Amino acid sequence: MREPSDRDLVRRARRGDRDAAAALFRRYWRDAWRAAYAITGRRALADDVAADGFERAFAALGRFDERRPFGPWLHRIVANRALDVLRAERRLSDEELPDLPDAAPVPEHGDRSLLAAVAELSLERRVVVVLRYGVGMTPKQIAGALDLPVGTVNSRLARALEQLRESLEVEHVE
Amino acid sequence: MSSELERRLEAMLAEAPEPEPGVGEEALERALSALRPGAAPRRGLGTAVVVFATAVVLLVIAAGSLAAAGALHVSFGAKAKHRPATTTQLSLPNGANGIAAIVDGRLSVVIKGGFRLQGLRVTAAALSPHALYVAAGIGRSLVAVKPDGGTAWSHPAGGRVVAISWAPDGFRIAYVVRSGHRLVLHVIWGNGKHDTVIDQSVRAVRPSWRSDSLAFAYVGGGGHAVVYDLAHESRNVLRTAAPVTRLAFAPAGKMLAVARPDAVVLGGKTVAKGQVEALGWFHGRPAAALITPRQAVVRSFGRTGRPVDDFRVPGRVVGLTGGLVVTRTQDRILAGWREKSVSVLLTVKRTTSLEDLAIG
Repeated sequence: MREPSDRDLVRRARRGDRDAAAALFRRYWRDAWRAAYAITGRRALADDVAADGFERAFAALGRFDERRPFGPWLHRIVANRALDVLRAERRLSDEELPDLPDAAPVPEHGDRSLLAAVAELSLERRVVVVLRYGVGMTPKQIAGALDLPVGTVNSRLARALEQLRESLEVEHVE
Repeated sequence: MSSELERRLEAMLAEAPEPEPGVGEEALERALSALRPGAAPRRGLGTAVVVFATAVVLLVIAAGSLAAAGALHVSFGAKAKHRPATTTQLSLPNGANGIAAIVDGRLSVVIKGGFRLQGLRVTAAALSPHALYVAAGIGRSLVAVKPDGGTAWSHPAGGRVVAISWAPDGFRIAYVVRSGHRLVLHVIWGNGKHDTVIDQSVRAVRPSWRSDSLAFAYVGGGGHAVVYDLAHESRNVLRTAAPVTRLAFAPAGKMLAVARPDAVVLGGKTVAKGQVEALGWFHGRPAAALITPRQAVVRSFGRTGRPVDDFRVPGRVVGLTGGLVVTRTQDRILAGWREKSVSVLLTVKRTTSLEDLAIG
């Protein structure tokens, strides 16, 4: 049997169909979590951000324009939530917070040198890199998701790639 | 054409780790609870224009008729700032099933559907799940009050009841009674039968039930948090520094948030320092009202205890309950979440004392 489309699931979820909402969740949870992880660099934070993203998306389902694809809309919410959380964390970081676990993003596995270089990018650049190469969104979709001009997204991508190249070259030379 | 670096990026991000299975289930539960059935889908621009134009025409016609009849007062100029309506009677916040407050020693209860109880002199109160009943300490008894104001049952408590907490499944009530110089913790069934003493020496802190209703936390006589397991009749004393002043189990799962007068403790770790005014859970997150040397904020925490969000609220926080922040200004008790949907629960005098408040 053919799987229901996102649009069908969104329509049913809007009417309160929990099975449809759960199906939508299962379809996108992994990608949303991985996007959150790629931006935040931490499992615990990715858990929070992705869960928050879904909670906000489901709460706002009534306002979602169903003619548009669900995935990019959800990723937009997750990416923005990740940015909010990281900014709030940065704001709070000068307060005394004893007994806290790991404070800095720690690459767990994979292309470690590249992961470390991505972690060094500014939040703004890291987000566009993750959405472009991790989630597979086009610059136009990223622009829509982050409410930025396409030109800004392209320039952030170009600068991020330039910075990554430089970081990797330095490492190679060293 | 994609460069070598872009290919490496794609490969690296494709190899990102997977979320743990349990996390997904918890997140799904949270997401489903946020669903708002019946929400109207967004219409196209054309439809919106037609609807708007029709509404404007109808409004103009209606306003013309009303103005002609002298029933409509129209004014122009700077728009007055919206102020929530004042109320001298307790109001039910949006989305809540019920609210119970003890103001100047007297109970005020409002329950969805219209039941309103006001003026009963009580020492403590708690709402049952779905706000179907109110358990209150009246004189030296624990009394369950029905929605029509009648008494469902009354149990002689042997002293003044100082704290009550109804289990999420409704089957049990934990309550603390002042007996001479001691405070004694009891558990009684939701029908007022089978009263059992759990601990002969506790503190006057409202117990907090675990979401499965099989255990609850309370503060023992030494000031330590204790989790009592009903199934095994066992106690687990938590290794937090005493004295614990507030406890709050998560509405889903088994995580317990604990507060001392000057710190918030999660999973045995101090996650924030500052004077703790209130402790609760919002949207699956522990949250606390904190006064630090620099600011007074409501702060929510992530699973690891890392602060993820904070915001300021007007007045002094008197409760984090029912998914709302309840604050007190000079003349009002307000409830809301951030700046959205803030409502006035009660208009008060400066001398009014708010002893307890629960929203269910």
